Amino acid sequence: MRFCIWLLERLLRPEVSASVVGDLIEQRERGAFWIYAETLSALWNLHTRPHSGDGLVTTFLIDLRIAARLLRRSPAFAIVSVLTLGLAIGATTAIFSVIEPVLIRPLPYPQPERLVFVWERDRDGSRDNVGYATFRDFMNESRSIEYGAAIGDWQPTLSGEGRPERVSGDRVSWQYFRVLGVRPELGRDFLAEEDVPGQNQVVILSHGLWERRYGADRSIIGRTISINDNPLTVIGVMPASFDNVASPSAQVWRALGYANQPFACRTCHHLRMLARIRPEISLATATTELDQIHRRMEKAYPNEYASDGASIVTMQAEATREFRPALLALTAAVLLVLLIAVANVVNLQLARAVRREEEFAIRAALGARRSRLVGQLLTEGLLLALLGGAAGLVVARLSLPILIDRLPQALPRLSAIHLDLAALGTVTAIVLLLAIVMGLAPARGPVGDLGINLRSGRRLSGGRHHVTRAALVVGEVALATMLLVSAGLIARSLVRLLAVDVGFDPTHLLTLEINSAGANYRSDAPVFAYHDRVRDVVASLPGVTSVAVANQLPLAGNVDMYGVIDPDNIPSNPELVPSGDRYVVSGTYFSTMHIPILRGRNFTASETSDTTNRVALVSAALAQRLWPGANPIGKRIRLGGLKGLDRVVVGVAGNVRHRGLDATSTLQWYVPERQWAGADNQEVLIVRTAGDPSALAASVRKVVASIDPTQPIVKLATMDQIIGVSTAQRRLALVLFGAFAAAALLLAVAGIYGVLAGSVAERTREIGVRSALGATPRDIIGLVVGQGGRLSTIGLVLGVAGSFALTRYLRTFLFGVGPTDPTTFVGVVALLGFVTVAACLIPAMRASRVDPSRALRSE
Amino acid sequence: MLGELEQVVLLAVMRVGKDAYGVPVHDEIQRRAGRDLTLGTIYKTLTRLEDKGLVASYVGAPTTERGGRRTRCYMVTVAGKRALQATFKALRHMAAGLDVGLEPT
Repeated sequence: MRFCIWLLERLLRPEVSASVVGDLIEQRERGAFWIYAETLSALWNLHTRPHSGDGLVTTFLIDLRIAARLLRRSPAFAIVSVLTLGLAIGATTAIFSVIEPVLIRPLPYPQPERLVFVWERDRDGSRDNVGYATFRDFMNESRSIEYGAAIGDWQPTLSGEGRPERVSGDRVSWQYFRVLGVRPELGRDFLAEEDVPGQNQVVILSHGLWERRYGADRSIIGRTISINDNPLTVIGVMPASFDNVASPSAQVWRALGYANQPFACRTCHHLRMLARIRPEISLATATTELDQIHRRMEKAYPNEYASDGASIVTMQAEATREFRPALLALTAAVLLVLLIAVANVVNLQLARAVRREEEFAIRAALGARRSRLVGQLLTEGLLLALLGGAAGLVVARLSLPILIDRLPQALPRLSAIHLDLAALGTVTAIVLLLAIVMGLAPARGPVGDLGINLRSGRRLSGGRHHVTRAALVVGEVALATMLLVSAGLIARSLVRLLAVDVGFDPTHLLTLEINSAGANYRSDAPVFAYHDRVRDVVASLPGVTSVAVANQLPLAGNVDMYGVIDPDNIPSNPELVPSGDRYVVSGTYFSTMHIPILRGRNFTASETSDTTNRVALVSAALAQRLWPGANPIGKRIRLGGLKGLDRVVVGVAGNVRHRGLDATSTLQWYVPERQWAGADNQEVLIVRTAGDPSALAASVRKVVASIDPTQPIVKLATMDQIIGVSTAQRRLALVLFGAFAAAALLLAVAGIYGVLAGSVAERTREIGVRSALGATPRDIIGLVVGQGGRLSTIGLVLGVAGSFALTRYLRTFLFGVGPTDPTTFVGVVALLGFVTVAACLIPAMRASRVDPSRALRSE
Repeated sequence: MLGELEQVVLLAVMRVGKDAYGVPVHDEIQRRAGRDLTLGTIYKTLTRLEDKGLVASYVGAPTTERGGRRTRCYMVTVAGKRALQATFKALRHMAAGLDVGLEPT
C-alpha cells in the first residue's frame, strides 16, 4: 500500500494523485491485489497521457504502450515468440533449480568446506573404504583432524509398536554429528563411552522417523524401542532441517561400538571415514599428513594393505561426484536450447524490423532522435522478454515437480530442490540480457540513414539484415546438430544397454525381501525352516512355476562379496585375493532364474539339506580366473577369505551381470543355504510366474505375511522393474535430451523457413526479372533451395565440428557407443539435411509461381 | 458524438449528483451498468471530459478516512448535458425504424 502511494505521488501530477490515492485509502479494505491493480491502471491511464510530464519513466511507459499495442496487432508473432522463449526459459529455470542446490550450494553444515572423506588409495588409483583399525590410527596420529567419524551401513528392522518396518540407517562412531557440526533437536548426542562394544545400545532418530512412527512424542527420549529385537535406548532426535548428505536415506543412527577385535581389522573395507579438518590447517597439508600416516601403516602391516597411501575428497565434491557430469551435460544442453530460442526470436524481430523500416524512417524524418527509436526497440524487446519470462516461470513451475519425481533417489540434497529465488534470479538475468539483445539487433540497421532512403523515394529493401539473419540460422542449425547428435548417442546407448545379456531371464520374475529378525530366529534351524515354508507355500500358489531363495539379487544394487581362494595356490598378500559375489541359494535358484549350468551339475538334494559334502558352483569367469584353461570340476575352493572353509566345485554356471548393465562384470560363486557359515536373516524370495508377475504380487505378499506376520516384507518388485530402476537415469537423460533436440530441430527449421520466406518476398522483383528472361520454375526452385542448402550445410559442418569437440563430455551417458559414433553422426546429418530441404521447398514453390508481369508491374 | 466511456461516466456523475468523485462514480457504474471500471480509467475519462469543458471540478474537504487527501468532485456542465443530448439524438436517429429493440421508449 505504502509503496503504491509513494509510486503514485511521485509519478502523477499532485492534483491527480490526491484524488486517486485518497480513493485507494478510502477503499483499502478491498485488499492488496485490488490496490496493486488499481495502481497499475492509474499509472497506465493517468501518467502516459501526452503532456502529462516528461522524463524517462513517461517515455518508457509510452514506449511500453506502443509495444503492447504492436504485439496485440501481430498475435502470431507474439504467440510464437512468447511460447518459444517461455519453453526455453522454463526448461532452463527447471534445470538450474536442480543444479543450484545439488552442485553449487554449500552443504548445510557450518564451514562445509572443511568436511572431507578420507579414502585409502588403491594401486590402480581407485579409492577404497577403510577398516576400523585404519580409522583408529588416523584419529590417534593425525593432528589436522578436528573431529572424525567412521560410518557403516545399517538396515535395521523396527518392531514393537505397529507394523514391523525396515529402515535405512547408519552405524556411526561417536563424533559423527560433531564432525557435521549439528546437534540433536531433542535429547543429546552420542558420548565417547557409548562407542564401545556392549555399550552401544543407543540410537538417535531422524525428525521424519520420529514424527512418522512415534507421533512426534517428546517423551521418546530415554525410552527403549525394539530394533532387530534388541531394546535400544533413544537418546536424541535430529532437527527437521538436518539434511544427512553422507547417506541421504538414513533415518536412524546407532553408535558404532567397535574399538577392538574382531572389528578392528585393516583388510576389511566396510567403513567410510568422514573428518572435519582443523580451521588453521589447509586441505593440502591435511592430505599430505594423512597420506604419510597411511604409508607408515602400510609399512607396519605389509600383509594387510594393498593400497598406496590415502587421499581426501571434500564432502561437497564427493556428494556430487556421481551426478556432476550428467547434470553439467544437461545444463549445457538446456543452454543450447535457450540460445537457439533467442536466435529464433531475434530472427523474428529482424523480419519484423524489415517490415517496419518505413515507420522508423518516417519517425526519424519527423525528428525522432536515434536514442528515442532505440529506446522504443529496447522496450519492445523488454516486453517480449518479460512475457517470455513469465511464461517460462509457468513452464518451470509445472515441469519441475515432474522432473524431481524422476530424478534418481540417490541424488544428494533432493529435498532442497525448489523453484527458488536463485533460479529466479538467474532467469531474470537471462531475460534482461535477452531484452537487450532482442532490442538492439533490429536497432542496428533501421535507425541509421533512413532519412536518405526516404528522400530517395526508393523502396526500402531491408537487405542489410540478411547477413545477420543468415548467421543466426547457421548458428541454429549448428546448435541443433549438436543436440541431435547428443540425443542420438544417448538413444543408441540405451538400446545397446537394454540388449546386454544379463545372464538370466528377467521376464516373469517377482522378487521380494523376506526377513527373519527377532527372538524366534536366534538360531539357524528356525530360519531355514521359515525359508522352506515360505518357498513351499508360495510355490503352491496358482500361476507360480518355480520359487527360489537367495541372499541377494543381480542388478538390485546389492554388494555382498567375499574373497575366493584356490587352497592349492594361496597368494602371499590376502589383499590380492579376488572377490566374488556371494550367492547363498536354494537348490531351485538356477532353474528359477534360468541361469544355465555350463559344466557339471546343480546341487543335489542331500547337499541342500546337510553339510556332509561341502560343495560350490562357480561362474564361468571365476573358473577362468582361478584355473585358466583347466577343468574346474572337482577342484577345491576356499570361500570367505583365508579362514574360510574348503569346498568342492561341482558345477560351472553362466556369468551373471551383478553390478549393473553398464558396470564391470564381477565373479560369482554359489553355495547351498545350509552349507554357509550361518543363516541370513534377510533373504530374497524369487518367484517365476507363468503370466504377468505383478498380477501375483498381492497374493504372494498375503501368503508370506500369513506365515509370520511379525516380519516386514519389503522391496516387492518385478525383475523388470528392478532393471528399469537401474536404467532410469539414462532414460531420464534420453527424454530430456530428446525433448531438447526436438525443440532445437523445430526452431532451426522454423528459422530457415522464415529467412527463405522473407528473402523470397523481398526478391519478388528479381525473381520476376529472372523468369521474364527465361528462367524455368525448376531454376527458381533450385535458386531458393540452394540458398537454404548453403545455410544448412554451413550450420551442419559447424555443428558436426562442435559435436566432435563436445560429445566426450557425454561419456557418463554412453554405453557401447563411442562419442564420435559414425552411425549417429551420419544419421543426424541426413535427418537435418532432409528436414531443412523440406523447409526450403515451400518458399521455393512460392517463388517459382511468381508471375513475371505482375512482379514487374508492381514497381 | 461522445465516446461510450464518456457517456457512461457523464451519466454516472449526473446520477451521483453531489460529491461525485472516483469512488461513488465507480460504484454507480458498477451498480447500474455492471461494469467494474478501474479508478484510473474513470479519472482519465473525467480529465478528458474536463478538457472538453463537459464537466467542471471542485476540490472537496480533506477527510481522515482518505488519509488527509482532498476529493476532487465533478459536476456536468451545460455543455456536457448538450453533448449527451446530441449523442442520444444521433443514436435515436440511427436506430429509428430498425425494429431491433433499439428504439428508446
